[in-house]
Amino acid sequence: MACNIKALSLNHQIVSSARNLTVDRKMGTASAVSVPVFPDTVTKTTTLSIKNPQSTEKLLTKTVDGKEVYSQGKFGRFGGKFVPETLISCLGKLEAEFNLVLHDSEFQEELAIALRDYVGRETPLYFAQRLTNHYKNSKGEGPEIYLKREDLNHVGAHKINNTIAQAMIAKRMGRKSIVAATGAGQHGVATAAACAKLSLECTIFMGSADMEKQASNVLLMKLLGAKVEPVEGTFKDASSQAIREWVGNLETSYHLIGTVVGPHPCPTMVREFQSVIGKETRRQAMEKWGGKPDILVACVGSGSNALGLFHEFIKDEDVRLIGVEAGGFGLDSGKHAATLARGDVGVYHGAMSYLLQDEEGQILGPHSIGVGLEYPGVGPEVSFLKETGRAEFYSATDKEAIDAYRRLCQLEGIFPALEASHALAFLEKLCPSLANGTKVVVNISGRGDKDADIVFQYEADRLSGLMA
Amino acid sequence: MAASAAITAAIRLSNPLTSSSASSSSSSSSFSSSISPFNFNNFASPVTPVKSFSVNCTLTREPVPAAPVSMESDPTGWQRPDTFGRYGKFGGKYVPETLMYALSELETAFHSLSNDEKFQAELAGILKDYVGRESPLYFAERLSEHYKRPNGEGPDIYLKREDLNHTGAHKINNAVAQTLLAKRLGKNRIIAETGAGQHGVATATVCARFGLQCIVYMGAQDMERQALNVFRMRLLGAEVRAVHSGTATLKDATSEAIRDWVTNVETTHYILGSVAGPHPYPMMVREFHAVIGKETRKQALEKWGGKPDVLVACVGGGSNAMGLFHEFINEKDVRLIGVEAAGFGLDSGKHAATLTRGEVGVLHGAMSYLLQDEDGQIVEPHSISAGLDYPGVGPEHSFLKDKGRAEYYSVTDEEALEAFKRLSQLEGIIPALETSHALAYLEKLCPTLPNGTKVVVNCSGRGDKDVHTAIKHLQV
Repeated sequence: MACNIKALSLNHQIVSSARNLTVDRKMGTASAVSVPVFPDTVTKTTTLSIKNPQSTEKLLTKTVDGKEVYSQGKFGRFGGKFVPETLISCLGKLEAEFNLVLHDSEFQEELAIALRDYVGRETPLYFAQRLTNHYKNSKGEGPEIYLKREDLNHVGAHKINNTIAQAMIAKRMGRKSIVAATGAGQHGVATAAACAKLSLECTIFMGSADMEKQASNVLLMKLLGAKVEPVEGTFKDASSQAIREWVGNLETSYHLIGTVVGPHPCPTMVREFQSVIGKETRRQAMEKWGGKPDILVACVGSGSNALGLFHEFIKDEDVRLIGVEAGGFGLDSGKHAATLARGDVGVYHGAMSYLLQDEEGQILGPHSIGVGLEYPGVGPEVSFLKETGRAEFYSATDKEAIDAYRRLCQLEGIFPALEASHALAFLEKLCPSLANGTKVVVNISGRGDKDADIVFQYEADRLSGLMA
Repeated sequence: MAASAAITAAIRLSNPLTSSSASSSSSSSSFSSSISPFNFNNFASPVTPVKSFSVNCTLTREPVPAAPVSMESDPTGWQRPDTFGRYGKFGGKYVPETLMYALSELETAFHSLSNDEKFQAELAGILKDYVGRESPLYFAERLSEHYKRPNGEGPDIYLKREDLNHTGAHKINNAVAQTLLAKRLGKNRIIAETGAGQHGVATATVCARFGLQCIVYMGAQDMERQALNVFRMRLLGAEVRAVHSGTATLKDATSEAIRDWVTNVETTHYILGSVAGPHPYPMMVREFHAVIGKETRKQALEKWGGKPDVLVACVGGGSNAMGLFHEFINEKDVRLIGVEAAGFGLDSGKHAATLTRGEVGVLHGAMSYLLQDEDGQIVEPHSISAGLDYPGVGPEHSFLKDKGRAEYYSVTDEEALEAFKRLSQLEGIIPALETSHALAYLEKLCPTLPNGTKVVVNCSGRGDKDVHTAIKHLQV
């Protein structure tokens, strides 16, 4: 699994905002937004529900002299840096460091070796023969389904692509300890593993409700030497606590964000480190069928695995991008995590994006059987892809996800994470509409042996037939 | 009794009609032993009585330390195995007539497929895209640091990452290949037995992938203790059949599986999980795992332009060890070290250190070392890790030990748990408890190694399955 280092060296140049440490508070043509509220919840103001999407530039980034430029971390009107002054200089330093490592060949080489030998990249692009047959119509026609096997990574999900890179950055910056927040626990485990390898202290904040649901992951984190701190509530509360902890120790600690949310440069940074998924996919597709994928499908919680797969192909307009959110008990039940389907625009955790909020701007608690999708917001870049129509977003219910989980087990002998099962569930609706031979790549963002007992409980009634 | 006195005696065979093969279904661990299930307890057809065997062998009562390989004993000249499936005096085919045909059919198929380019290409494709090979050879920097002496010298430790394979262990290399072979033979029905469930899950996985019918026999008592693994197997589409006879554990499941195989031998293939059992299984399973050693050679050359100096692997039945060693057996400058389970300690009587404390006999169709009492009854082994909890060992390991080509040591439950914790905290890799035995031996090995010695440890599996067991014992 030799890793092509060139594929990993990121030829982007970021306009460093380190030179200019003042926050740009302009919102373009959007209505004025009141004070930044990071890291607490959105303040009460109805002006935050922006109903009319503005027309924005097609591309995410402007091109200056042939090089891509990220201006202030904005994706159209989304993104930004809604943080108190105390954090601005810190974020500036982080952005500067990120810019440096992008061009530091020694860092890139070290990262490539870690991804190859420690994480186990590159991950295969696996042709799912039996799943493909399942979607063939009576004439024997149907799309071809390929699975991008992020489940085979060390610790079992795509999360580690990001944690190993950021842990290396933290070390470079001379930080001694890492703090992070985790929902399902996958980011926590990936962070704990990277910290053990790089000899960094590690504290993971996790919602107490989540700790109960994902007890195995808690044990894994502890075995890896991390401290696990319970926080009352769920991921959003753990997130806030992690940030508070970080703010108190800005010189020595590093907040390792697990997904494409937060203030600039976090969404961009995490996306860059996950983009190895899409880069490999391009090369593998070329090797396998001499072309590009036609459709990319990924589950969307906050959006890191989706952006990791999509980013490489955003400029290829003939590649369809499909994100699948968590429909929970159904979009009308109020118990779901379908932020893009049912959310409104607002500021949350330092960035402007879609989020699930009530009429007073209070955050709504999300629900999904895929705990990793239980986030009431979504990455700003994902919001931008929706707004520009570059990507399509749908949702799958808990039940549809469970059915998809079982389907992949039986047809391919692969346990997909319940999160990834949402992406697989959407194939039921998608495939009948596709032309014969359409190449579909689904991101299997994680493995699901950990979810077997969740499925077990869910199926308690149906099981009585099986267990006899 | 002097160890050097040659004793010529009839080999004590475990009497198949009365022996109770070990029940290796450890209650707490979720990893079943992948053993050959040939328990002849319930066969009506008599096995040839002991007296008619004319093979003699030399027995010693004390464990023999590894002798340096003499110059006349050139590994390239050894037949591993010969045409009868023997490795020296070990191995063979101690089975009832009814199974002889199936075994020779298997052997013929195996040999013809070894030269079948299409088969090899298909297998290679599955190993790459489904299993995720090749697995990395990872330089464990912090672990190497840990073994540096005060003057800064010490060996370089590399881990062969079989833990990154699909399903989390090396087992799948063999499961995938055997299933492909079964399909080629036109056998659409696969059977296996399982104790804690791990081998059952691996078998069910590949059967799902290839759309084959899969039946796993499991003791009813084990099914209760391992309800989650039962559920996983069913999710994968396998049928899990409860066995209620005897103690309703692994050995009884084994008998049931044999009965099934004997009855349905034309349509059914038996997936044996380790390098034990009658010929051709030890050879076949070794060949299917040999990809581990082949990759290691290539990766070692890429990384440091040479060969490994020392290879270390845990030994239960012996498959992951043979997979790593096989490539290098003919090169005497590569040291081969196998680490068995000493359980509560070698003198406690509760261990699974077959090569250290066992004697030669026949178990599950092959002649090999095994843990037996004076009446030739199988001694119940113990290890915290179910995968090492086997009273026998593959015949090729017995051969390598006697030849002095490989060295075998053992490590207690406690030492294994310490090693489990050590790798988790130094490298962020949680190893299987089985693998932890190999890692534990580094504590004794590394201080003796010159600076810069290249050590490759087979990280045969990941330890997610062992988390609950470990937490019970460790202060975390």
